[in-house]
Amino acid sequence: MEELIQKLKEEIIEVLNLEEMEPGDIDPDAPLFGEGLGLDSIDALELIVLLEKNYGIKIEDPKDGRKIFFTLRTMAEYITEHQK
Amino acid sequence: MEAYIRGIGNISPQHSWGNVILAEDIVSYEGNRLNCIEPDYKEYIKPIQRRRMGRILKMGVSAAGKCLRDAGVDMPDAIIMGTGLGMQGDTEKFLKAILDNDEKFLTPTSFIQSTHNTVGAHIAVMLKCNKYNFTYVNDNLSFEGALLDSMIRLSDDPSEKILLAGIDEMTDSYFCITKNAGFWKEDISDNLGLLKHAGPGSIAGEGASFFIVTGETHPDNYARFAGIDTFYKPESDKEIDDFIIAFLAKRSLSLDDIDLIITGINGDSRWDSGYFRLQDTLFNGKPLAYYKHLCGEYYTSSSFASWLAAGILKTQSCPETILLNNNEVNKPIRNILIYNYLRNTNHALILLSVC
Repeated sequence: MEELIQKLKEEIIEVLNLEEMEPGDIDPDAPLFGEGLGLDSIDALELIVLLEKNYGIKIEDPKDGRKIFFTLRTMAEYITEHQK
Repeated sequence: MEAYIRGIGNISPQHSWGNVILAEDIVSYEGNRLNCIEPDYKEYIKPIQRRRMGRILKMGVSAAGKCLRDAGVDMPDAIIMGTGLGMQGDTEKFLKAILDNDEKFLTPTSFIQSTHNTVGAHIAVMLKCNKYNFTYVNDNLSFEGALLDSMIRLSDDPSEKILLAGIDEMTDSYFCITKNAGFWKEDISDNLGLLKHAGPGSIAGEGASFFIVTGETHPDNYARFAGIDTFYKPESDKEIDDFIIAFLAKRSLSLDDIDLIITGINGDSRWDSGYFRLQDTLFNGKPLAYYKHLCGEYYTSSSFASWLAAGILKTQSCPETILLNNNEVNKPIRNILIYNYLRNTNHALILLSVC
């Protein structure tokens, strides 16, 4: 799990172009949207594409994104559960 | 119909961030491509906004911010842009993603930033400016279209403060494609020696030149746009001569009133002959200048020429590096005529005068 979280940190920094952040700056248990990293709806779409492209996981119902992308850890748990 | 330049923000391959070009700061480049000297964007764009912006968008937003500050304007009455290529970098990124991923996994960011009016729209969003917002895309007359629109608006309401700009970027892909099409010189060693490298092709460039223009006089104004006109594919030398004479006559001027002529000479032997013919005929005896060795060739380079002319009129000083001949530039410098064309198709005249 920790290895996947580290990998996700690097991927998120690259995909969302968080140019002034290092993987160590991202708390895996802090909310990704709003108060935590401060991501927005466009970032949510980028993360959906990331899941599909890099992990082969397609989110059928966008409403599920709220739970899946709550923190980096919930995202990693979802990937672990659903990756084929 | 006049437009006074109240503020300037300019990003170019030269040290133009300080608004007036200084002879000792002229930058020399090796090769056939000039890239902008970019400022520290942190001062103008928050990190959370900056991370999603393409390079040209960062240049545009910063230059706009600098220009507004320079003019002391918080909210412009209109945003009018000219661009030949728009958000070329993001367009390429989006198209590449379509090809690489077989039309799947397409993300929104580069798509929503791939339209030509992205820069003008983004500035409006950041300023919360709901007023007139227009982007002209018309090859090498894009800035001219924006300027004409600005001047027409100011003739209706001189109190307006309009954010006017010419902006284009040179991306790797576009440079490569146009290089293969023979646009750029292959063997040039130094941009400042552009005219010593005879033969076809020019040097590639880019830039973001922003102006706050208004119809109101003010001691801080740099200069004024006193005229703009364009013509298409002239069929004879006489047609060109007549157009230039008529353009000046419409403004109650003749060539005797022009203190400096800035031409769009770009080193391409296939097209520069039109300028050199004028040097020996209609412009004979006049001090002639050129500017594309400083900024390179790009669709809105006339906005860089306008910035250059405004600085010359404001400081009453002309950098020697732009002069083409030995004809003395008489002081005071009152009127500067910019004559630019690209591949003898779209021709443009811009007149700038002292305030």
